[in-house]
Amino acid sequence: MIGKWKNKMRQWLTNQMELPADVVADLPRITVIGHIHIYIENHRGLLLFTDRELRLLLKNGQLLVKGESFSIKTILPEEILLEGKISQVLYLEE
Amino acid sequence: MKNEWVYRMSGNLRIRIVGKGLERLLNEFTRRGIYVWNVRREGEHSLTCYMLLRDIRHVRATMRKSGCKLYVLERRGAPFWLKASWKNSGIVVGLVAFMCIVFLLSNMIWRIEIVGANPAVEHTVRQQLKKIGVERGALQFVIPSPETIQRTLINNMDTVTWIGVEWRGTTLYCQVVEKKQPTQTKSNTPQHLVAKKKAVITYMFVEQGQAVVEVNDHVVPGQLLVSGFIGKEGQTEIVPARGQILGETWYKSTVVVPMKTTFYMLTGKKRETHYVRFWSWKVPFFWNHKEQFSTFEKQVDEKTFRFLTWTLPIRYEKVVWREKEIAVREYSYEQAKAVAKQIAREQLQRQLPADAIIQGEKVLHETKENGKVKVEMHYQVIENIATPQPIIQGD
Repeated sequence: MIGKWKNKMRQWLTNQMELPADVVADLPRITVIGHIHIYIENHRGLLLFTDRELRLLLKNGQLLVKGESFSIKTILPEEILLEGKISQVLYLEE
Repeated sequence: MKNEWVYRMSGNLRIRIVGKGLERLLNEFTRRGIYVWNVRREGEHSLTCYMLLRDIRHVRATMRKSGCKLYVLERRGAPFWLKASWKNSGIVVGLVAFMCIVFLLSNMIWRIEIVGANPAVEHTVRQQLKKIGVERGALQFVIPSPETIQRTLINNMDTVTWIGVEWRGTTLYCQVVEKKQPTQTKSNTPQHLVAKKKAVITYMFVEQGQAVVEVNDHVVPGQLLVSGFIGKEGQTEIVPARGQILGETWYKSTVVVPMKTTFYMLTGKKRETHYVRFWSWKVPFFWNHKEQFSTFEKQVDEKTFRFLTWTLPIRYEKVVWREKEIAVREYSYEQAKAVAKQIAREQLQRQLPADAIIQGEKVLHETKENGKVKVEMHYQVIENIATPQPIIQGD
């Protein structure tokens, strides 16, 4: 009940004050450069990594990146830079 | 991400991790602040990545807990590079040593060439050189400069008139001009003895020949003293006349001595700066500057280094400043007169042959004008006045 109210409050704040959503709502910020780089901030950990698939845990749900010949260029607690040939980026709701 | 390049240069490893739960392990790494990059999946149970050398010891506990295995595939970066170069250091040391030896050998005297001297003089020149440390195998930057060598040689040897010393590569080249020693051998060609200058004869010793003059005779230059013709008239024989004829001769000399003289004197204080010169760029590396002298004499000493046939653009330069001081010397009239007399005597002695004797001196005239003392001296000298004159016989 309180959680729902908090979320609404946040949404309202974002709309009213024109703040970026990722800052206020703790959402991932994903930067994709063509199909060769994907940069994800605010993730919650690595779930699966193969050369064709990357699965990341988010605050709400998961992020699935598909493609070919993946390699993790950098991995930090909240950031990850993936290189390869990206074909899909999917959100998986819990 | 900051200073990534520096981190990586400080030593990094390419590793392979084999086991189950690799994603979990990667999460654990990031949580612990262990930085990994270029992660690549190889198969279901293995991946390769890079990590920093300094993190490897923090990884151990994590690895043990996860049950995965870690293999090091490649070692890169400065620490490993240094280690490898230490292994190859023998070659480097050898190369440096070789260069040093070639450098030393290039700066050595290999040959001392002496030109224009007979064997005896050459030998003495070599001995003199040896005395000041110049010999085969001596290093060129230890021995004095060619100018100094030249000066010492000329000063120390009385059988040479002049010696030129110069470097020709690793050869020290000495050009010697010998003194022409008058041949003191008895000449066997017929000759007279004649007077050299105006004199009164004081002593006569005739070895051979017929004396024409007597003691206390006054002679003029060119006058016959001892004839080479001996024997009675009609039966004359021609001989080389020999003997010693001493005569009293006269010299006059005038000397002017200023009563007040100003001149520079070195005080003995000096300061030195040592430079290394790279091309025209001078770098001082040692100096003892305490004070700047107002008047000084500057002396520059330069040493060059050679490598094989090349002269290196790196040189050593020593600059010495010696302090000068103005000194004023004042003579009283009497002192000035004494000095003038002494100077006059020394001048005369320099001009006379060594066996001449100054018998008497007289002051002819002395004046003092414009702060200068002018003394005119007269000397009586006993010297050999005979000089040989060959007899040229007509048919």
